[in-house]
Amino acid sequence: MGTERKINNRRKFFQTSAALVGGTLLYSLIKPFEALSQSKEEATKIAKEDLPLWGMGVDLERCVGCGKCAEACKIENNVPKEPFYFRTWVEQYTVKKDGEVKIESPNGGIGGLKQSVPDEDIFKSFMVPKLCNHCTKAPCVQACPVGATFISPDGVVLVDDTYCIGCSYCIQACPYGARFMNPVTKVADKCTFCYHRITKGLLPACVEACPTDARIFGDLRNKESDLVKFLQENPTQVLKPHLNTHSRVFYNGLSSEVK
Amino acid sequence: MPKLIFRLLLTFFVFVGVFILIQRSVTPDSFGKYGHYRANSLDDNRMKPFYYKGEAKCTECHQDVFDQKASDLHDAVRCESCHTPKIPGSIDCKVKPPIVKGTIQFCAQCHAINAGRLEKGVPQLDFKEHYEKQNCIECHNPHAPWELKEK
Repeated sequence: MGTERKINNRRKFFQTSAALVGGTLLYSLIKPFEALSQSKEEATKIAKEDLPLWGMGVDLERCVGCGKCAEACKIENNVPKEPFYFRTWVEQYTVKKDGEVKIESPNGGIGGLKQSVPDEDIFKSFMVPKLCNHCTKAPCVQACPVGATFISPDGVVLVDDTYCIGCSYCIQACPYGARFMNPVTKVADKCTFCYHRITKGLLPACVEACPTDARIFGDLRNKESDLVKFLQENPTQVLKPHLNTHSRVFYNGLSSEVK
Repeated sequence: MPKLIFRLLLTFFVFVGVFILIQRSVTPDSFGKYGHYRANSLDDNRMKPFYYKGEAKCTECHQDVFDQKASDLHDAVRCESCHTPKIPGSIDCKVKPPIVKGTIQFCAQCHAINAGRLEKGVPQLDFKEHYEKQNCIECHNPHAPWELKEK
């Protein structure tokens, strides 16, 4: 009797497990087709042509290095106040008469940049605001092992801070040094073009705060936007074009010294 | 089918099934909807509080100041360039007004002499020569810098 019961139990166990596995497999076979039937709905929901494609122009001929943008960014996005966490910052490049290039950015330019080289040694000097370049082919997105950083349908590179595991691969992958490890949230942090603002119709905080309109924000798909006008009127360049990142931050008046 | 092969196949399918079950249970909702990421993260990023209200919002109450600013050299400077907000934009700014003291250090952020700032249309001053011991707003009206106050 005991052996019969054992056999029955075993048979039952195999039957149930086979049913379970078979059911799951069947479901996984159906699932792709399910997606096919739904994809039409999603396609209408997220037709790319209707969405904006955000980008930024930086006019170096207008930037005075007051650091208001870096300050505004810290206020708007709760970036830690220590002088090594920045989503955006301003660098001052000074080319000396002997050819040496000095790059400084004390406290990211917050409080106004001050020239440390005596006037008689200066050949030229200029300010370069930096931020995430929102690459179309973003190296940080490729490096992320969990899919916690991604390019949104409207072309902004974002971080999913509830899903990020804090491995900092993306920080190493970014050729522009635009990412940092947030000491409070312990996840990667970066410029989002103030995604919470632009989706409400406001301008990014740095653009709002810039007193000389050196930053131009807009929709690259809208042919009447300020940004498209800026790109038409000025010969612009992106940073590190040889890396083929197809970034969407365009600089006017960029010197070859800028790295 | 030999018993051995049957068992092998069964084990294989059990492993595949368990893998699929685990994968389904640990993949977050909305992952993969638009791409290799959590689509709900877009909403998380949208929901963050904002601080800067934009000039249109400031003008609702301070139309007079805006008009004065528009008439002088600081017309392109937006309100919040100087009046940096102290509280989120959803709260009335009267709760913690963004008052600026107008000290030399504050105005020097843009107007201190710097080789990188020349020829950009922003007046450059050596504050050691130009009234070192006074706050700028004692003479200049920051909203209309060329309306000098009489002393």
